[in-house]
Amino acid sequence: MKFAQISDQVETQNAEISRTALLGTWINSNLDTNSIARVKISETDGKLQLQVFAMGPDGLIDWGPAPGHVFAGGPASHAGVGFTCNYDFGFAEARLQAMIMKGLLVLAQFHLFKDDSGRADYFLREYFALSHDRF
Amino acid sequence: MTAPFKQNSHLNPELHAAAPNLEKLFGRWLNTNRETRGIAECTITADKDQIKVSIVGVGEDGPIAWPIASAHAVANLEEEAGQRTGALMATFDFGFMRADTHIRINKGVLVIVLFATFLDDSGRSNYLNREFFYSA
Repeated sequence: MKFAQISDQVETQNAEISRTALLGTWINSNLDTNSIARVKISETDGKLQLQVFAMGPDGLIDWGPAPGHVFAGGPASHAGVGFTCNYDFGFAEARLQAMIMKGLLVLAQFHLFKDDSGRADYFLREYFALSHDRF
Repeated sequence: MTAPFKQNSHLNPELHAAAPNLEKLFGRWLNTNRETRGIAECTITADKDQIKVSIVGVGEDGPIAWPIASAHAVANLEEEAGQRTGALMATFDFGFMRADTHIRINKGVLVIVLFATFLDDSGRSNYLNREFFYSA
């Protein structure tokens, strides 16, 4: 078995990674965000699907659905604790990398501009809580 | 005319300012966890107009030098606590596995977040990991 670090040298069964912990609607903890306000994560045909809503000048902007790729906490784990997802807007790409930490979703965003607007590529990192109706 | 956008931060005027500040990222960084079974150390250098990231993994019989990756620098506009040092995106291709990383500074500590995707048939799960490094 090939590995790049010793933690990758594990014997494991080829089992599917659970997506359960990721599913739901995640709300930005920052009420004044200028970025993603809400992420809806669902399962469609056994695959992770995201729908992002971001703050625009006139309210929320629906980025539409996009496939997500789920990641476990280790090479022998089958519990999904994070995801990646890419949006291509034509003028820019948004690459999302997220992980659950202490019950929060920590979402890193990388925005890469492809137009001639002169804007610098940038990143943001914000925290999201899973909405629920228990209390 | 307004530039195209998908969120307010796409319109942040600071995006037209200077290139990202990366000085604090450069140098050799050692894992804060001496028992790590992952990344032992990371060296970030500027080579002409390119930023290079060298990583050494912990192996069974000694260190494993990862293929050197070119990094893509991104500005940091709004992170908490006034943090403004830019971040890096770097992908390491091992053939059997691809490791997509992002690297940033938080309170003087280098943070590497790694998303590993296995491309072989070993049955291993794609996974993420986060490790912390201090300046050597």
